[in-house]
This record gives sequence, C-alpha cells and structure tokens, in this order.
Amino acid sequence: MLTYVIRRVLATIPVMAVVALFVFSLLYIAPGDPAAVIAGDQATPADVERIRQSLGLDRPFLIRFGEWCWQILHGDLGTSIFTNLPVANLIAQRIEPTLSLMAVTLVFAVCIAVPMGVVAAWKVGTWIDRAIMAFAVLGFSVPVFVVGYLLAYIFALQLDWLPVQGYSPLSNGLWPWLKHLILPAVALGSVYIALIARITRAAMLEVLQQDYMRTARAKGMGQTDLLFVHALKNAAVPIVTVIGIGIALLIGGAVVTETVFAIPGVGRLTVDAILRRDYPVIQGIVLLFSFVYVLVNLVIDLLYTVLDPRIRY
Amino acid sequence: MTDLPVAIASPPIGFAAAPEPPDLLAPVKLRRGLAGFAWRHPAIAIGGALVLAMVFVAVFAPYLATLDPTAIAPARRTREPSAAFWFGTDMLGRDVYSRVLYGTRVSLTVGFAVAILASLAGLAIGLVAGTIRWADGIIMRVMDGLMSIPPILLAVALMALTRGSVGNVVVAITIAEIPRVSRLVRSVVLSLREQPYVDAAVVAGTRTPMIILRHILPNTLAPMSVQATYVFASAMIIEAILSFIGAGTPPNVPSWGNIMAEGRALWQVKPYIVFFPAFFLSLTVLAVNLLGDGLRDALDPRLAKRL
Repeated sequence: MLTYVIRRVLATIPVMAVVALFVFSLLYIAPGDPAAVIAGDQATPADVERIRQSLGLDRPFLIRFGEWCWQILHGDLGTSIFTNLPVANLIAQRIEPTLSLMAVTLVFAVCIAVPMGVVAAWKVGTWIDRAIMAFAVLGFSVPVFVVGYLLAYIFALQLDWLPVQGYSPLSNGLWPWLKHLILPAVALGSVYIALIARITRAAMLEVLQQDYMRTARAKGMGQTDLLFVHALKNAAVPIVTVIGIGIALLIGGAVVTETVFAIPGVGRLTVDAILRRDYPVIQGIVLLFSFVYVLVNLVIDLLYTVLDPRIRY
Repeated sequence: MTDLPVAIASPPIGFAAAPEPPDLLAPVKLRRGLAGFAWRHPAIAIGGALVLAMVFVAVFAPYLATLDPTAIAPARRTREPSAAFWFGTDMLGRDVYSRVLYGTRVSLTVGFAVAILASLAGLAIGLVAGTIRWADGIIMRVMDGLMSIPPILLAVALMALTRGSVGNVVVAITIAEIPRVSRLVRSVVLSLREQPYVDAAVVAGTRTPMIILRHILPNTLAPMSVQATYVFASAMIIEAILSFIGAGTPPNVPSWGNIMAEGRALWQVKPYIVFFPAFFLSLTVLAVNLLGDGLRDALDPRLAKRL
C-alpha cells in the first residue's frame, strides 16, 4: 500500500514537469522583450542589452527553465507586466470568489447528478431514464455562458429572485454569499451534471446486474437502501473518478461564468490579462490550475482503496 | 365478447372462446433505403438533418442574409427585432440576423477544421504510441501533461501568444484536443494488437507497416469518426468561449462568440443580441452531439455500452 502511494505520487512528477515545460515555453516564445519593456522608451540598445544580461535573459533555454522551476518551487510565479505586482499575490487576491464558485458548483452538481444517474439506471428504458439522458445530452450541448444568460434573464431580470451579477464575500454573511453564487453555480454545473449523471448511470447499470444485488433483494432489502447504499457504494470508483476528471470543466468554465456574472475571481483576472497581453499572469494561472487539477486527481487515485476495499496494491 | 362477429356462435356458458392463435408468420416490416435508416437511427437522422441545415445556412449565407453583416449604421442602433431587422440590430447598428448567419460559417469552419486536424494528428501519434514500445512511454507522459491543463486554459494560453485569427484559433483548439484523440487511438491500437487476425498476419510474415495499414488502421476508423464528431462539437464551444472572452477570432469577424461578447454590455436591456447567437450555437452543438451519439450506437455497440 505504502509503495503504491509513493509510486503514484512520484508518477505525478513527470506530468507536472511536462506542464511546467509547456508553460515555460509559452513564456519563452511570447512576443515582446521584457528587457525592452523595463528599460523604457528612452533606452539605447546598449541599455537594453545590459538589462537583458542583468535579468539573465541571454542565457540558454534549459538553464533559464531550471531557474524558473526553482522560483516556482519557492512560490514565485513571476511578476505581472501590467501591474508590476507578483502574480502569486494577484491570484491570491482573486482566489476566494473562484474557489467559492467551484466549491458550491461541485457540491450542487454531485447532489443533483448522482441521484439522477441512480434513478436513470433503476428505471432503465422507461421515460424517466430517457428524460434524464436527454437532459444530459442537452447539458453537454448548451454552453456555460448560454445557460448563464438564460438563468440570469429568467431568475434575476424577469422574476427578480436572485441578484443579476456580482459577488459578496463570505465575510459579509452566508446567505448573501450563497445568493450570489446560486445562478453561476447552476450554469457552471450544467455540463458537469450531465457528465456525472451519465457515468453514474453506466456504473450503476453494471452493478445492478451483479448477483449480490439479487441476493440483497432476496434478503428483503428496501429499494432505497438497495440503490443508494448497496449499489452506489459498489459503483463509487468510476463516479468519483469522473468527478475528479470533470474538475477540468469547472476550471475552464469558471473563466466564462465569472465573465457572465461579473464575479471578480481568477477567471476575470485571466480575461483581463488576455486583453492586456499580460503573459506572466496567464502562465501563472495555467500553471497553478493545472497543478491543482493533477493534485486533486492524485488524491482521488489514492482514495480508491478507501472506496473499494477490494482494490489492493 | 360482445363485438365478436355474428358468424361465430357465442360459446356456451362456462366455456371461454379459445384465444386467437398468434400469427407466427406475420410479415416482417423491412424498412429499406434512407427512410429505413432514419427509422433505425433517429439520432443520426435528426442530428444529420440539423447539421446539413446549418451547412446550408453557412454556404448560402450571402443569399439568406438581408444586410451586409459588417455594415455599421449608427442611425439604427439597438433596434428591437422587427420585420426589417429580424433579430434586431446591435450597438453599432449592424443587423444581428445577418451576423448570426455569417457566424455559422466561422463556427462550422472551426469545428470541421479542428475535427480533421486533431483526428489526423491524434491518429498519427496514437499509432506510433500503440506500435512502438519505447516511444509509447514518452508520448503518453507528454499527453498526460497536456491533458492535465484544462482545454480552455490551454487554448487561452496559446491564443494569448498570437494575433486573433480564425487560423490561430483552429491551431490552438487542435493542440488542446490532440491528447484525447491520441489516447483513444492508442487504446484501440493496443487492443487490436491482441486480436487473432493480427497474430495470424504476423505469423504469415506480413510486414509491420502493412499490418498497420491493412488490419489496424481500418479498425480505428469507427471509434475515430465518433470521437471526431465530439471534437467537432467541443471545438465549436471552445471557439465561442474564446471569442466571448476576447481571445478568439478578431472582433471584425462575425462569429457567434463575438456577437455575444458585443451584446454583453447591453444584455440586460437588449437580451436578444446575446440570445440569438446563443440559440444557434446551442442548436448546432446539440445537432453534432446527437450525430455523434447516433454514430457511436450504430458503429460500435461496445463503445456505446462503455459510454
């Protein structure tokens, strides 16, 4: 078991190295010369050359990559070209709304999607199953921002139940915080719900065919216990896996959702950085989110043995 | 009992009429031709018809449009939908209906180009990874790395480097989609390698390139074409997202994402500018996804079961 954990943790190192190399290459080939930017308009070519040498920009690719990695390991994600502030600070300032949005979406989506998938598998072939699967196809097809505008139009503009846009920090109270996140979370969650519901249905269909399900039924187990305790437990591994993989959808979708609902989070920071061509900020965000994604999936891999004691390494 | 024909005498009390013997030789309704195909695969029929309709719109956009999609006319800014401006006009007075029609061109071009390019690249990479053992480890580590960057962020990072143009958008989305396609091809190749007919070909002395060409490649086509339709749909969504957040096609190109981005500032008062392109985008993606689901069920029942 311990060797498995160590092996699995070590296996993420090459993946992260590829991500880091990719992000660094983007920074390396990004147009615009940082030395020229720092030197300013009045600088002579000699000045620019001097600054370039002092920054170490004239050294070979691999040495710079190594140093850059060293900086990253120390939590230094570089400096924004536009604001001249450390990228790590910029992200830290904006992380709360994004994490809140993703957490609310995750909880909401799992609470909706798993029962949907279970019911679809239970009622397989009936109109309930077809309706849920049709909803899943729709969820895959209607993009995040379309769902977002539609929800905001109906529930905020027409019915005036929820705020149209904006964000209220958790320190201002739980309900204002949640109130601002309901619509964005439903919009962001639509694709995610579709994905989880489909996998849950498939995994449950597999489990429901097993002999032990018939045994449980013969013992007189109630339908709800049968489905949600007995079967769902055995279908947990693929479901949890897809919840982890789907986080990529949440990260990408957050950028758009925050734009639609004017939430001042990391997604908004990304969009502003694109408009200003602020490469260090973009690369820092890509790097950070990719690492988070890899780590989440690592944790889920390690959870397999807890979820399914039959899995032994 | 009451509606039995008169010719048959009603049975004596206490006896029930024998049930009609089942018609063992009922004529099997064979549905042939296009209609039969559509009946058996409704998802392909509906999705395909919608996609064809969209292609028609894209090709004949200049004839279907009522006005020049880029003509700016400040005098008729932000008009509500009417007989003259079917979908209204945007904040620069441009006709939203004509812009949405031309937007079909951008979306379908990007979707189609990405589907083709990502399939070809993914096929090549997947074949190499699936057949050459030492390359497999390296290629798959690189693909794992690229796959751990969320696709939209990957495309955003690439687009930040270059000028916005349709070609650059296609390249950026293709790079984001390649890892998934090559993983699929690799897994198919690995399972095909274990097939008895491949062993037979090896025993018969067939050279490796010939085995790939004759036995492996044709069998990857079914799952590949299913995957390609999904890539098509995903590429259209990513293109719209990129344009919407200002990292996609340049603002002068009437793509659906751009139209929505321009309508964003005004959307609370003029929601139609956002909703018409949004509707077309959703409908097209839905059509392509339906087509993909239909193809999956028709071409590869095993894949359908695995989902």
